[in-house]
Amino acid sequence: MKKTLLLGAALAAFTLAGMNGAKAEDTIAVIVKATTSEYWQWVFKGAEDAGKQLGIKVDKLGTPKDDAAGQIAVLESAAGSKPAAIVISPTIYEALGDPISAVSDAGVPVIMIDSGAKTDKYAAFLTTNNEAGGKAAADAMASCIKERTGKVAGKVGYLTAMAGHESLDSRDKGFVEGLKAYPDLKLVGNRVANNEEAEGMSLTADMITKDSDLVGLFADNAQMGTGAGASIAEQKLGAKFCLVAFDSDAGEVEHLKDGSIYALIIQDPYMMGFGGVWYGYAAAHGARLPKDVDTGVGTVTKANMDDPKLAGLLDVNKRKLSPFIGN
Amino acid sequence: MSEQILVSNKFLEGTAKGGSMRALLRRLPIETYVISFTVALWIALSIATPNFLTENNISNMMRQTSIAAIVAIGVMCTIVIAGIDLSVGSVVAFCGVMFAQMCAHGLALPLAALLTLAAGVLVGVTNALAIGRLGIPAFIVTLAGLQAYRGLALLLSGGMTVGGLPASVKDFARGTLVLPNLFWAMLAVGVAVHYLLRFTRTGRYLYAMGSNAEAARRQGINTLRITMVAYVLSAGLAALAGILLVSRLSIASPSMANAYELQAIAAAVVGGASLFGGRGTVLGAVVGAVLFTTMSNAAVLLSVDPFWEMVLEGLLIALVVYLDNLQKRRQSGG
Repeated sequence: MKKTLLLGAALAAFTLAGMNGAKAEDTIAVIVKATTSEYWQWVFKGAEDAGKQLGIKVDKLGTPKDDAAGQIAVLESAAGSKPAAIVISPTIYEALGDPISAVSDAGVPVIMIDSGAKTDKYAAFLTTNNEAGGKAAADAMASCIKERTGKVAGKVGYLTAMAGHESLDSRDKGFVEGLKAYPDLKLVGNRVANNEEAEGMSLTADMITKDSDLVGLFADNAQMGTGAGASIAEQKLGAKFCLVAFDSDAGEVEHLKDGSIYALIIQDPYMMGFGGVWYGYAAAHGARLPKDVDTGVGTVTKANMDDPKLAGLLDVNKRKLSPFIGN
Repeated sequence: MSEQILVSNKFLEGTAKGGSMRALLRRLPIETYVISFTVALWIALSIATPNFLTENNISNMMRQTSIAAIVAIGVMCTIVIAGIDLSVGSVVAFCGVMFAQMCAHGLALPLAALLTLAAGVLVGVTNALAIGRLGIPAFIVTLAGLQAYRGLALLLSGGMTVGGLPASVKDFARGTLVLPNLFWAMLAVGVAVHYLLRFTRTGRYLYAMGSNAEAARRQGINTLRITMVAYVLSAGLAALAGILLVSRLSIASPSMANAYELQAIAAAVVGGASLFGGRGTVLGAVVGAVLFTTMSNAAVLLSVDPFWEMVLEGLLIALVVYLDNLQKRRQSGG
């Protein structure tokens, strides 16, 4: 009896948690890579704002950590409830290709955001040009090194958050390509972490131990940026070291302010969520959409971080939308 | 006097019977080998790279090891009673986020730390009650905790990094008192738990319960109390590690301390703890943590491919446990 009661209560709790008045056709499911990261919370915030404007329900879905099999399961169950459209950021390029095709074949438009998948059956793909972002990081690093040493020369390295992720690989590729414009910058090292701040922190310290004349480091996501920033702050190297990091979560912004990070390459996750839901809604109602949409990157340094245009990219709560005139 | 002579005579007899060196080697605990291996690695690294034996690198490694070692010491206590604590990584994150939230909201630092430690103790009590009173296997209870406390960390932080902490939070982990503060924290924890395990009745009961829970119960040992001690130590030290990690990173992220439980178990096991219970020492857990830190440090300094580094660490765990089992089998075989 007690057991049945407990089970019943658990069932009721789940049902209540998922209950709401909206019909399935008024719902857009947004599936992110990892619900535990601030970046994806910004995507959700943009998606929610779009949902409010459109008067539809936005389902915020995903696995806590990057997990391709888990994400496929989430995608399949979301598709099963026949939403108007699905907005998804595929965790692994190869793995999510077929499942996304299957959803499109079943008649639900799929909008991909942030990262691609191995399929061409999708309505639109809104993403940062990650390679361009990596190149911007190389440029920011070069100008930092010039500013501090008078010449663009020295040893540099980069930290990869996780192996085998399309968006991270593109950033790293862009960075390595971008460095080629500066022949005196010598790439001496690359380490791969487990997407963990403390590990990024240790690796940064160890890389500087290995090459004590290292002048710059590129950290390719928020976790790595926060960890590397903490290491630079701990070693009090901010004034001479050139750390450039991708994204802009609270930890990174703090290190930008205290000088441990020279520049942040910021994407527009809010716009991916916001635009993703609008695009999904449009596609669900029959609009033909551009296949690839670049949501843009910006380079923020301590000098320009108070610029009102960049403030909304650094802090999603300061985000103000204005009419889009064109790139 | 005559007793002494007798003892030394016996010792001589033992050596005279031959194979004394081998017998001695067999009797040495596995920690001795792991320590020797670590020291050998240090010597090799000092020769192979000029950057290893520097003040900077050593204090870096001390900082890197301390938090992992504190978690490993706690988990080792649960392994000693033939239990396991898979929830520690999530508890580190949960308590870290909680601590950061309190600091960000202006609560005095000592009070925030105390409340966080209390939360850790509460987690431990809950785990122990579920295991000791409800009889749910420790693996399942703490697996549930692994999921639930990570969820609570996310709820508490709204999935966002908690920043904007007062500068005083960072001061501890960055500070030094000749050696890094974090190292002293690890030493204090290590000495205290070592004392508890080796020199108190509670400590003896932990080993007794781990060797044979049924026999321990029949001898009148209160096994629920002993279970409580082990899991409160584990969760409490995870809470402490959470505070230290926040101090080190100067932020709290709900995704931090991912898979720390596995690192902790690996450190404890490499340091001689047996998952079947009854064996495990503080020194072993610390040495295990130091060995893993040394390996990842070495991998960077020697530019070992990061993927190979993972493979090598895995092989090391398997090798050490194999050697340990081999040794035990030989001992029991005479």
